Amino acid sequence: MLLVPCPNCGPMNAADLSYNGESHRRPDPKTCTPEEWRTYLYLRENPSGWLLENWYCSSGCRRHFKIERHTLTGELRAPVLPGRKPGATQGDMK
Amino acid sequence: MSHRLPAPLGDVIDRSSVISFTWNGKKLQGFEGDTIASALLANGEHILGRSMKYHRPRGVLTADFWDPNTTVQVDDEPNVRASHRKLADGMAVSAQNVWPSLKFDVKAANGLVGRFLTAGFYYKTFMKPAKLWPAYEHVLAKFAPGGSVDLDTPHGRYDKRHAHPDVVVAGGGPSGMAAALAAAEAGSSVMLVEHEHQLGGHLLWGSNDDRAAANELAAACAAAGVEILTNSTVAGRYEDNWISISQRSHPGVIERLIKARGKTLVGAAGTIERPYVFQGNDLPGVMTSGAAQRLIRMYGVKPGTRAVVFTANESGDSAVEALQSAGISIARVVDARAGEGITSASGSKSRVKRVTLSDGTTVECDLLVTAVGWTTPTSLLNMAGDRPVYDADAARFFPAGPPDNVLATGGMIGDGSRDELIAHGRATGELAAGRAAVVRHRLQAATARAAAVDGPEPDYPADERTPLDRAQHPELYRSTTHGIVDYSEDVSSKDLFSAAGEGFDSVELIKRFTTATMGPSQGKLETVNTVAVLAEARNETIAEVGTTVWRPPYAPISLGALAGRINEPTRVSVLQPWHEANGATPILAGQWVRPEHYGDPAAEVRNTRTNVGIIDVTPLGKLDLQGPDVPKLLNLLYTNKWMALPIGGVRYGLMCAEDGVVLDDGVTARLGEEHYLMTTTSSGAAKIWNWIEMWLQTEHPDWQVHVTPVTTGLTSINIAGPNSRELLGRLTTDIDLDPTAFPYMNVRRGTIAGVQNCIAWRIGFTGELSYEIHVPSGHAVHVWEQLLDQGADLGVKAFGLEAQRIMRLEKGHFIVGQDTDGLSKAPVTGLNPLLKLDKDDWAGMPEVAWTMESGDHPVIVACQPDNGSVVPEEAAQILRAGTTEIVGRITSSRMSPTLNRSICLAQVTKEFAAPGTSLEVLLVSGERITATVQEHHAHFDPEGARLRG
Amino acid sequence: MGKNKPPAKYSAAGLLWRGLRKQSWPRVWREPEFKSTYDVVIIGGGVHGLATAYYLASNHGITNIAVVDKQYLGSGGSGRNTAIVRSNYLTPEGVAFYDRSLDLYNSMSNDLNLNVMFSERGHLTLAHTDSALRTMNWRAEVNKLQGINSSVITPAEIKKLTPSLDVSADTRYPILGALYHPPGGTIRHDAVVWGYARGADAYGVDLHQKTEVLDILVEGGSGPEGKGPSGKVTGVRTSKGDIHAPVVVNCTAGWASQLSNMAGVTLPITTHPLQAAVTEPVKTFLPTVVVSGSLHVYVSQTDRGELVFGASVDPVATYNMSGTLEFTEELAGHVLELMPGISKMRLLRQWAGLCDMTPDYSPVMGPTPVDGFYVDVGWGTYGFKAGPVSGEQMAACVANGTTPELIKPFELSRFTEGTLVGEKGAAAVGH
Repeated sequence: MLLVPCPNCGPMNAADLSYNGESHRRPDPKTCTPEEWRTYLYLRENPSGWLLENWYCSSGCRRHFKIERHTLTGELRAPVLPGRKPGATQGDMK
Repeated sequence: MSHRLPAPLGDVIDRSSVISFTWNGKKLQGFEGDTIASALLANGEHILGRSMKYHRPRGVLTADFWDPNTTVQVDDEPNVRASHRKLADGMAVSAQNVWPSLKFDVKAANGLVGRFLTAGFYYKTFMKPAKLWPAYEHVLAKFAPGGSVDLDTPHGRYDKRHAHPDVVVAGGGPSGMAAALAAAEAGSSVMLVEHEHQLGGHLLWGSNDDRAAANELAAACAAAGVEILTNSTVAGRYEDNWISISQRSHPGVIERLIKARGKTLVGAAGTIERPYVFQGNDLPGVMTSGAAQRLIRMYGVKPGTRAVVFTANESGDSAVEALQSAGISIARVVDARAGEGITSASGSKSRVKRVTLSDGTTVECDLLVTAVGWTTPTSLLNMAGDRPVYDADAARFFPAGPPDNVLATGGMIGDGSRDELIAHGRATGELAAGRAAVVRHRLQAATARAAAVDGPEPDYPADERTPLDRAQHPELYRSTTHGIVDYSEDVSSKDLFSAAGEGFDSVELIKRFTTATMGPSQGKLETVNTVAVLAEARNETIAEVGTTVWRPPYAPISLGALAGRINEPTRVSVLQPWHEANGATPILAGQWVRPEHYGDPAAEVRNTRTNVGIIDVTPLGKLDLQGPDVPKLLNLLYTNKWMALPIGGVRYGLMCAEDGVVLDDGVTARLGEEHYLMTTTSSGAAKIWNWIEMWLQTEHPDWQVHVTPVTTGLTSINIAGPNSRELLGRLTTDIDLDPTAFPYMNVRRGTIAGVQNCIAWRIGFTGELSYEIHVPSGHAVHVWEQLLDQGADLGVKAFGLEAQRIMRLEKGHFIVGQDTDGLSKAPVTGLNPLLKLDKDDWAGMPEVAWTMESGDHPVIVACQPDNGSVVPEEAAQILRAGTTEIVGRITSSRMSPTLNRSICLAQVTKEFAAPGTSLEVLLVSGERITATVQEHHAHFDPEGARLRG
Repeated sequence: MGKNKPPAKYSAAGLLWRGLRKQSWPRVWREPEFKSTYDVVIIGGGVHGLATAYYLASNHGITNIAVVDKQYLGSGGSGRNTAIVRSNYLTPEGVAFYDRSLDLYNSMSNDLNLNVMFSERGHLTLAHTDSALRTMNWRAEVNKLQGINSSVITPAEIKKLTPSLDVSADTRYPILGALYHPPGGTIRHDAVVWGYARGADAYGVDLHQKTEVLDILVEGGSGPEGKGPSGKVTGVRTSKGDIHAPVVVNCTAGWASQLSNMAGVTLPITTHPLQAAVTEPVKTFLPTVVVSGSLHVYVSQTDRGELVFGASVDPVATYNMSGTLEFTEELAGHVLELMPGISKMRLLRQWAGLCDMTPDYSPVMGPTPVDGFYVDVGWGTYGFKAGPVSGEQMAACVANGTTPELIKPFELSRFTEGTLVGEKGAAAVGH
């Protein structure tokens, strides 16, 4: 099982977190076109490679955070709390 | 025990302790320390089973866990490895895959027609006539190998354990023990896991010196604090060295699953001896050199009387010595290194009798021992991403190079003397400990314990081990004749040749077509021989053909151990004991166990509508919201407006997901200036908490809102019915219940039955005058009992979930997830006045706006069957009259005790939504009835006079 | 154009004849030469790609086709699924579609002259809650209207069909009823792959294994490098060289997003592993396919006696197929809830495949904004059961240039138009 570093709790078993998927920007609901809104709702890059995604420390501190994960190798970079910029690669936990 | 050798042969058996067991009903005896197979051989029973397809008699081949044809039934346990499982007193052991008996097996006739039953033959026949295939299938299923499950087997004692060792060593041979010892001496916490019943690996059947060295190392490991797990298997290696260990030796437990987060994993699984492929290679009496040595030296069992030994290596030479020590005459040693070979073996139905050599001579014997080389069980390394590479000079696959946190030592990566193997093991253990220390430091530094980390991070040690040599070995896979490649699946080299010829000529395709390597031995014995035969058939090298990837587990693991103690918790309110003591029928609602009713739900409805009823609604999700920005949050997540809710006000709200689909609903009350209590559906409680936190943390981290779940902290009781005001009035002194002071959709805080800090609000899910009170759970039983005591003369009675469901349906309230579904956007509910498109933003708003604009959506309507005595099933389809076109469905239906008729909610297309429309409803019975769409959702008191009173 | 040469006829008589004469069988398919031009390139040598090729050839006379696969035939989801077939879906669209597939499966052994061992043993979807039971009733009612044999049965009837199930009321997840679908069953998945491959090869379709698509060649599109909407596909770049073709069909799972991105088409897909496991064989005792949505498990017993288990997809999207321990733990716990008597059976092997999940649990089929680039993707956990009908319909779509009615609801455009398919309602576990 992957160890996912929560910015608060440190490395956690992935099963103790909730996965909220690919991170994407929410369009302005007042002005967006149906196409823009449904791109946000449904279309996904789904890369085989590095992906910025949302996790929720649901069995720990209950913080939502973003982390870059390589979807093939499972490598992880440093987590960030929302509103902050993704940082450099974190030291290897493995 | 006619075939037992005298001491000192038989290191692991205790001749002073006799064990009785039965074999196919016959009473036999063995010794403490025997495996089932060694005890059977000691009694002269050398046929232990029959093969899967041709039902050929089979005996001991490897005398270890991987022995392919010695799986037996032991009591209610199928597929027990007779060559591994220790004999226990009273075991009832029987052969599997035999009919009617081991000695006389009718299906052995399959062997006569073997040439027609080539691999994959079933793909080519039984197509016609199609209707007969089920009959053929039935016959094929009769040939299913394996033992029998007793469906009455109780769930025995299984357990799990979490462990956090620095180093896990898989394999307790000389290298593994040395690695564990060195790692422990370097300060690591170490688990040493050995598949067999004692540490030692191949030293156990080696020379006296070997066995002495094994004992010495094992003692040193124990003294150094290594945790030694024997009869245990490292079954899997998953991401980040999440390691599963199946422990079959934990006292009082059938099997225990250890989940270890190892910082370094050392693979020291040694090698597995390969069988040789030639005609007759599956006759009882043909076995590997390791098997012969194990039987003689460990168990003191005489595997034959006159032996031919075909050897290409030291293990074969050592087997000759072992045979001689057991007084077995050596008819011939055939040395592959000298260019000698064997081509076939033949015998009676039950035993090898002669061997034909490459030079054409035949030698009589009743034992044929082969030592043709090794397979590296790279399974755990494969799971870590390693892909094995073939070395033709050493005639075996080796790991290509696992990731940094996985190291290999011993036979898996090379050959050497005992001392060389131990030296390499020690170097590996030191390296593993050094790397584990770095990982441990990093893990600690990344957690709250960071302050407790000692010193700076150590340097990450590089791999500077002196590699083990790889001994030259002739490539010996198949002789000039065809024989069995996969013993568990009865696949021969001839089958593989013909499959390759048909185009199933990659290692994956041939495996799938012939089922070679797919059986209970998991390819440990068969994979490399399969690859070698395929390479031969394709005229390619083994390296070109490549090998398959071994998948977890390393060895089969019981479902019981994987499940552990069955523990599926439920949630209950603190009132549940009262409910159960008072005749409640329990119902599972999501995680909750709740009272469905107390005997007669219809009577509960009538009493509530006439007098007063109380219901435990604790599972209602409750979130305490505090902070100046709560109104903004509510405005964002609910479809309606929340900026102007006064203190003391309660409002209903509907939530949508971003695709406009109804997500949840409930009421939220404003308790104070910056203090709110939100309720959610019972099943949505956890989801909505997550949902709120997501919006607060990711989209609006600047908003000041604190969310606390209080679902079970507060016990919720709904008091409903005409007498509810009177009843609550008797219990409270500081809440003014006068309808002008405390009107509908308002909340008050106060003391109830002497309990302070209770919350009471007026809402109307049942359609009655009702007060929902939220009481600190520690005092809830008291309050509940007081309600019943004080209200006895008012006719108060508890009611259950079913009565509540009936009353909400009478009132026409929909339930999210029942009357709506995964595609129901908010306008489906008909609550259009609550969908405020003039707000700046709310979750799901754009989709809701577009849906309303298009008007293209079904709607929820109330309808009543024209024949009021018929209750259409929930899920009954609504059809366009006289057709099979679906235009809607009944989502809720009950017989109303209040109206004495059936009532429903339904989802229908717009065309059928107008009041007065006649609907054609298809009952489950196939009958069609008509129902009429009502003007209001509420079947009862549509003006709400009762609840507002 | 007709068949190149008929393949060797498989029959009991053939087995006997060749057995007696010690004669071997000819190759199932050719090792074709790599050509630089084809009329159609199909990416993905699984059931979907091979069936599309087969039906293009057999129904539409288009035979100048290359099927390319980066590994071997059936190496993806086709060889990793648990081989369950059924047609008792929730929506009329779904039911009609899968029912056609079941028809094709029923006659497949004869049609392809290869025994795919379709075992019509009945399929039980258990309900442990009243809401699940309501959904079962809903499915049964929709099914009946479409002429599908599907009904809700009681615990006593369940026990009679499948004695190993614990139907007592005092369990944590009591079995309250089940949706019983007698025509559902299992099939030998590899045989389906080989049957279509052999059939397509006989029509002259070239099957290129170990041929990886590195790029999709598009001209005139509005995106970068001339790809994307309003572009026109011209071929594919593979590890063995370029192939020019006016039509390229993406029939992959697990790599569907990557390949479509190569053409400038973004899909509504996230890729998750779906895990499965098999036990050691025991004498047969489980006569039906059993599915429990609440417990996220499905199980059937092969004719060889192994129990084959599956679950729902892993929660975390990943392309890593190494599998997890948690899957086996949850699986075992839940299976023992259903069948407490089998705790001593042992798990022999676990594996994973990749599933492309869409927001509405329905596939994406038909044309894309790039002319000549078609998709047959997004098959979630139910791609195998739809293989034959998908091939048939995709072949018609490609050959006729219009989307057949049966797959119209599954077009990519539904995601921009907001007209999703309704299988989401009942798709907790889609088996």
